[in-house]
Amino acid sequence: MAAQTVKMVITGPFSSGKTQFVQSISEIDVVATERKISSEAEKVKEATTVAMDFGRITVDDDLVLYLFGTPGQRRFDFMWEILAEGMLGFVVLVDSARPETFREAKSILETFRAYAPTPYVVAANKQDLDDAWDVDDLRVALRLDENVKMLPCVAADKESVKNVLLQLLYSILEEMDMDDE
Amino acid sequence: MQGDLKHFGGTQLLSLISLAKKTGTLDVDRSGGAASLAFKEGKLIFAAIGGIDGSLAAVLASAGRISQDQASALSKRAQQTGDKQLGLLMIQKGYISQADIIKSIKRHAILAITQFAGWDSGKFKFEPTKLPGGDRITVPVDMENVIIKISREKKRDEELEREIPSLDVYLRHGDNAKIDPKELQLNKDEWQVLRYVGPKNTIRMIAKSCNMNDRQIRRVVGSLREAGLVELDFKVRGPKLTTEQKKEKKALVNRIIGRLQTIGED
Repeated sequence: MAAQTVKMVITGPFSSGKTQFVQSISEIDVVATERKISSEAEKVKEATTVAMDFGRITVDDDLVLYLFGTPGQRRFDFMWEILAEGMLGFVVLVDSARPETFREAKSILETFRAYAPTPYVVAANKQDLDDAWDVDDLRVALRLDENVKMLPCVAADKESVKNVLLQLLYSILEEMDMDDE
Repeated sequence: MQGDLKHFGGTQLLSLISLAKKTGTLDVDRSGGAASLAFKEGKLIFAAIGGIDGSLAAVLASAGRISQDQASALSKRAQQTGDKQLGLLMIQKGYISQADIIKSIKRHAILAITQFAGWDSGKFKFEPTKLPGGDRITVPVDMENVIIKISREKKRDEELEREIPSLDVYLRHGDNAKIDPKELQLNKDEWQVLRYVGPKNTIRMIAKSCNMNDRQIRRVVGSLREAGLVELDFKVRGPKLTTEQKKEKKALVNRIIGRLQTIGED
């Protein structure tokens, strides 16, 4: 019998570190759909995801967790809803050192919340950079509710990524428990 | 110059006319209202749009300077005398001042530009030789500032569409909702929307109750959110999971947690 699969979505603005995040934890080489960037304005990196990043974690013989990283550029947002369908939860990655992307991050967050009312966490990525905003300041900048988890993150660090995913899973359990009350 | 506003929008067209300092009349035909806008050297000089034919009587009535009954009577009179004569007569009789007439016409022109800029469908045709008759009162109105304002508003509307992608979500009171209402300087629309904030009303329902269109409700909700008075509430209000389904889901999540915790130990 084929293993059951569940998925989590990793989203966030352009260049927030989604591909790196999935790569850090996936047991397979990430199926990345990166292309060279054509727009001068967006050339803060050489290549960007145009369809999705796809990572995998085998839970046991019967269960597989898929991680989907969304394309960050708005012109590929038609992919988002498809990726969001049936997700267990989602992570919104924010580049803590690029305040010019905070508004976009908030907008992406609202868009995904509208697609599906599943639990989510916000990960303040690139916390290892000198000019990274403090997590508490970021919470205010993003106008996040106090019960939304805002987690420090370094997407290149497996432990950090692991912690974000675990926190999302704890949120899913907490939400189910709250429903019981 | 002719085309469809689907391909060349209202704001773009106004910008082109203004920049190229065009003279002539732009006629637009669309379902839900036609328009006829006359320009002289890139400035709007006369506008008939959305049921207001641009005549002096209609413009004064729309500005609230005269009643509809008075407007009907004046329209009949204007058919014989023309708007210029009628305006002079009204000024001489002391019913209205020249400044008030000019102010009302400018107000109408700005409203017409704003309304037209929002149109995104309809056939248009610009005729360079066509201008309003000599009996009409024409007041040149600069369009640059209005176009800039409209462009800013459009950009803000686009941002709001991204910030509030769905109107089928609920609103709840934000952190600043505890502020004494007397200290808040809200407009009528904002107060109206605030009254309906609660777990039973989606934004769409509130818009319907307040008689607002999608753009209007997004703007009001957007400003209330900026002020921290409301927050979007995405809580599921659909069918809940059964106890069995919930048990299964919890077990599944716990299995994933167990697996993730071992990562790094492999």
